[in-house]
Amino acid sequence: MAASAADIRSALQLPDHSQEQGPSQPKKQPASGTRKPEGIPRELYALIGPQAPTLAAQLSKPRFKAKPKLGSVSAKSKWEWKTFKNGARNDGLMLGHWEKVAKDNGDEMSTEPDPSNEYKFAKYNIPPPAWNYTEDEYTRWLNDDNWSKEETDYLFKLVMEYDSRWYIVHDRYEYPGGSERSMEASCCVCRKLIRNRPWNGEESARAAMLSSFQFDKDRELLRKKYIQSLENRTPEQVAEEEALYIELKRLEQTERRFKRERENLLRTLAGMDSGLPDIVEDDGVSLGIIGAEPPKKKKKGTLLEAESPATPTPSSAYPAVKKQSTKDAAYDALHCIIRTDGPVTGSATKAAHQPAYLRSFKLPTPKPAILPKVTQALAELGITHTRLVMPTKDNVAHLEALVDATTALIETKRVSDKLDLDINVVKERIAMRRRSISRDAAEGAGGKDGMDVDGHDREGETEGEDGRAQSVASIRSGRNRKHVSSF
Amino acid sequence: MVNYGGDEVSALVIDIGSSSLRAGYAGDDAPKAIIPTSYGYTLSPSDGDVTMGDNGSSGPKKEIFVGQNGPSIWRERMEIANPMVDGLIQDFFPIKPLIEHALENVMRVNASEHPVLVTEPAWNTPANRERMAEIMFEEFNVPAFYIANTGVLNAFASGKGTALVVDVGQTMASITPVVDGFVLRKGLVYSPLPKLVQAQARHILSRQPNILVPHQLIASKNPVEMNMPPDFIPRQDRLSGTTESWRKWAEDREIEEWVQSVAGVLEQGWNDHLANARPPKQYEFPTGFNTYFGYERFQVGEQFFMHSPQLLASNPHLPKHIPALASESLRTLESELRQVLLGNIVLTGGGTLFHGFAERLSAELSRLVSHHKIHAPGNPIERRYGGWLGGSILASLGTFHQLWISKEEWQEHGKAIVGQRCK
Repeated sequence: MAASAADIRSALQLPDHSQEQGPSQPKKQPASGTRKPEGIPRELYALIGPQAPTLAAQLSKPRFKAKPKLGSVSAKSKWEWKTFKNGARNDGLMLGHWEKVAKDNGDEMSTEPDPSNEYKFAKYNIPPPAWNYTEDEYTRWLNDDNWSKEETDYLFKLVMEYDSRWYIVHDRYEYPGGSERSMEASCCVCRKLIRNRPWNGEESARAAMLSSFQFDKDRELLRKKYIQSLENRTPEQVAEEEALYIELKRLEQTERRFKRERENLLRTLAGMDSGLPDIVEDDGVSLGIIGAEPPKKKKKGTLLEAESPATPTPSSAYPAVKKQSTKDAAYDALHCIIRTDGPVTGSATKAAHQPAYLRSFKLPTPKPAILPKVTQALAELGITHTRLVMPTKDNVAHLEALVDATTALIETKRVSDKLDLDINVVKERIAMRRRSISRDAAEGAGGKDGMDVDGHDREGETEGEDGRAQSVASIRSGRNRKHVSSF
Repeated sequence: MVNYGGDEVSALVIDIGSSSLRAGYAGDDAPKAIIPTSYGYTLSPSDGDVTMGDNGSSGPKKEIFVGQNGPSIWRERMEIANPMVDGLIQDFFPIKPLIEHALENVMRVNASEHPVLVTEPAWNTPANRERMAEIMFEEFNVPAFYIANTGVLNAFASGKGTALVVDVGQTMASITPVVDGFVLRKGLVYSPLPKLVQAQARHILSRQPNILVPHQLIASKNPVEMNMPPDFIPRQDRLSGTTESWRKWAEDREIEEWVQSVAGVLEQGWNDHLANARPPKQYEFPTGFNTYFGYERFQVGEQFFMHSPQLLASNPHLPKHIPALASESLRTLESELRQVLLGNIVLTGGGTLFHGFAERLSAELSRLVSHHKIHAPGNPIERRYGGWLGGSILASLGTFHQLWISKEEWQEHGKAIVGQRCK
């Protein structure tokens, strides 16, 4: 056919849209009688047709904003200028302010001012707990050669006046002699008062109160010195510190990568699983970060203060590591705390973090390859190594030593068994050779080589039980085998 | 209402500075009345002879002109004076008319119906504050009074209780350490540095003759080309009646106007090349003389931060510049406080509105200390009237109302109560 339908349509100037409908579909003419109402999209109207007038009416309805409810009773609130008396004041000053009048009794309120109503900000007037002393108390407990009564009085007045804001007290202190020791003195006096006054409450509360007034001047001075030194770092020092930190991070990263690679290697070559304890140990030892002790020994008592990733808090001015090593050593010794060197590096990454664990969970276990043998050997002795009644640090160490010894024993036994077997085999061969040699000799053909070997062998046999000699013997016997095979 | 702790008792806040007196309602965000602190006065000629015998107590015989129409209007033989010397009220005689004018003529309030909070600089003397209390209670009959420190109020205006307030006003530059709403007096330092800046500006402008003739003394003028001598006719009738003090005041105003529109600070320290590279600004004086100002405009602001060696050599008693003040103040502070305060530096006062001031201060401070943070309100009203704004905040707090010195207490305890209550 030469002319398509479209051609004919264009020639007849018919609309082209029937192409989508297909020629077979009867063309649906929109009902010419009903016009499309306003507010309905054309496509929607084509679908629903003219039989939805209610919807159309709803849609086309003009919508206005809701009228604001002006003049309604609920929106209006009445305010009233009222004078009030502030309960926090000692005098009778009356100030005024606008107050919202309650709606239900609005009419009565205007006639009846309520002066008894407590001023709502008066409750914030809380005087700080101030310590003071009587004349009698001073003479009995507080006499101090370094502090005159007048200066103590002056100090306590100042402390009360400035609500124990020590910076201000320090600033305003004008008594001859200086303000440096004011805080120490005040704390000292308060401590004495607490200790000596009759105490009605609990003893623990008293102790807490005492400790809250604990003031260590030397420590305070040390702290200030630390802040000072931190502040007085030269830019070079700061830069160096920064560089060191970055270097440390880099090392850590290398170490992690190294470890990962080794684990991969071990898994692919030796078929061992990752996370082997000896690998972890090795890592630490090789880098010299962790001591010779494997990081396993931890007292139960220290669980609460478990090693956290040592992110130094911003308030601690001096490095955290230093703090631990010097200051707490005595404390640890006193309280039987044994610290294991955890993530010293201070990185907060998951890989470097070792969470707290119970020692009983990480009892030493022999290598899985020889585990049944160890179990068997220990069972012969009536020992179960999987359970420890008292997993103290020493016991765990003993158990580990025992397991190690058993492992070594089994290893030795295995070697000795193997050697015995070798020796037996070699003996068998020698016997065979002797027989053949004797046969050869009988035939009249003697070999120098054979004589040599013979002599050696005899020597090996005589030295007997010694392991070293055995190994030497085994090597020689190996050589012998070669000779034999080459023979 | 309780959420922000506000409770407005319609208190009034009055902040008296060297250049202007600000007054308004507590709780507002800007003062309602701002009038110049300088006032004009004429000695009435009829009483003149009589008062001579009165041993110099010429107070009541002065006719005083205050407010916007006070010193700025030319009057024959009117002298101009300012009660403030180095930020402190030296002459209490005009204080009452000034406050009266601000409250009654501008704000139209009756002071006896409102508690009044007045500000004072941190170095105010006890005698001065007691005198102020006396004026408020005895002359204005206020029901309650409080006097607060501008340093503290500036910190409050920035929403801080602890701050290092760097305040540069019209006559004084000060650095006030504020901790928990108290001034650390040992760390307070101040110097009349802005005066030096003004002198420098005057020095620059006096290179041209007749440059500072105020418009009040000009009858007519014709526009002239740039850098051409001005073409104006002075008001001959006024020349003879113009006093020296009025002329100085008017010239100072011209200088200030020039400084405000032209002067700036180089952000990164003085550098001849940089100063010349900045675009010059044109300025036309009341006489019609107009010219471009290039690096001179940065020389003015530079005085805040650095004194040239030849200036130091010629005058050994120069006021300390801001870096010197800062290091002096920081030296007195305890190291732990220093960190806190340096993180809360509040920049305030009209003198800090120099273009590039905050950046330069930051650059200077970073040479002194490792870390600091400057809070400088961007809104010029807040920057200039920070003290008033802080007073407005303080006096509208519900918990503050227990601190007012009431009239009853004043009558009972006398002047001593001021020192006890307002620490």
